[in-house]
Amino acid sequence: MRGNLRRLTELSLLTAAALIIFIIELQIPSPFVIPGIKLGLSNIITVYAVYRYRAFEAFSVLIVRILLGSIFSGNLTALIYSLTGGLLCFLGMLVFKRFIDERHLWISSVFGAVLHNTGQIAAALLLLQTPQILMYYPFLLLAGCLSGAFTGLCAQIIVNRIDIRKSDS
Amino acid sequence: MKYKILIIICVILTVLGAVGSILVLNSPPKTEVNIISDGKVIRSLDLSAQEDVEFTVTYKGKSNVVEVRDGKIRVKEADCPDKTCVKTGWLSSSAMPIVCLPNRLVIEFNDNESEVDAVAW
Repeated sequence: MRGNLRRLTELSLLTAAALIIFIIELQIPSPFVIPGIKLGLSNIITVYAVYRYRAFEAFSVLIVRILLGSIFSGNLTALIYSLTGGLLCFLGMLVFKRFIDERHLWISSVFGAVLHNTGQIAAALLLLQTPQILMYYPFLLLAGCLSGAFTGLCAQIIVNRIDIRKSDS
Repeated sequence: MKYKILIIICVILTVLGAVGSILVLNSPPKTEVNIISDGKVIRSLDLSAQEDVEFTVTYKGKSNVVEVRDGKIRVKEADCPDKTCVKTGWLSSSAMPIVCLPNRLVIEFNDNESEVDAVAW
């Protein structure tokens, strides 16, 4: 029970941190006109949670962050894109986690970001029924690789600094 | 070794994205424009023959003001929260349709000109 409480607290802290990063990032004006292209800094927390916590725990951090984030930002229409992207990314990362170890976690972050953007495009295709949306895909692919590498490297730094054995005691 | 292959895949994806972006950006501009609301083409215009005009597209009570001037088209005003469509500015390439996700509005060049039922309005 004590372990549970400790984990719950850690997960809540992670979720809160992800939300704060998400809200702050919203305030930074994006130089790109294409919706969906941004750094996605809050995914640093997602990547970290995927690698350091059980699947279900990381999943709750992600879902709570997406739901509360879209409520706080007042942009509920973006929710469906965030959800499809986030879920696809999450499932992909669970798979990559099996054969990419912690010291190379930025690689799985890149793949995760690419999957995230793929999910968003798929959702947009289904919703808008305009195949021309696919023209966005190269941009999203490029942006996903770059931002995925960046957030992945940030998560890498965090993982290197926080020793799992200490926090598990 | 395994990681080298994975990193190479990452690089390939990045290069693919970059090359694709350049290709899409360099595709020649067209003059046939479709205005699509909620997946349906509600209006097609030929910008080269179109006179300057302003009109409002509404979807479920939400509206976007579309402006055509000097053979160019843009969303002038919108009541959506993010105003991405307004910030996109004039429609310049088929790679960058003007999209308003909240109001389900897309303004894009028609990629298949022969298919158009030229809608005069």
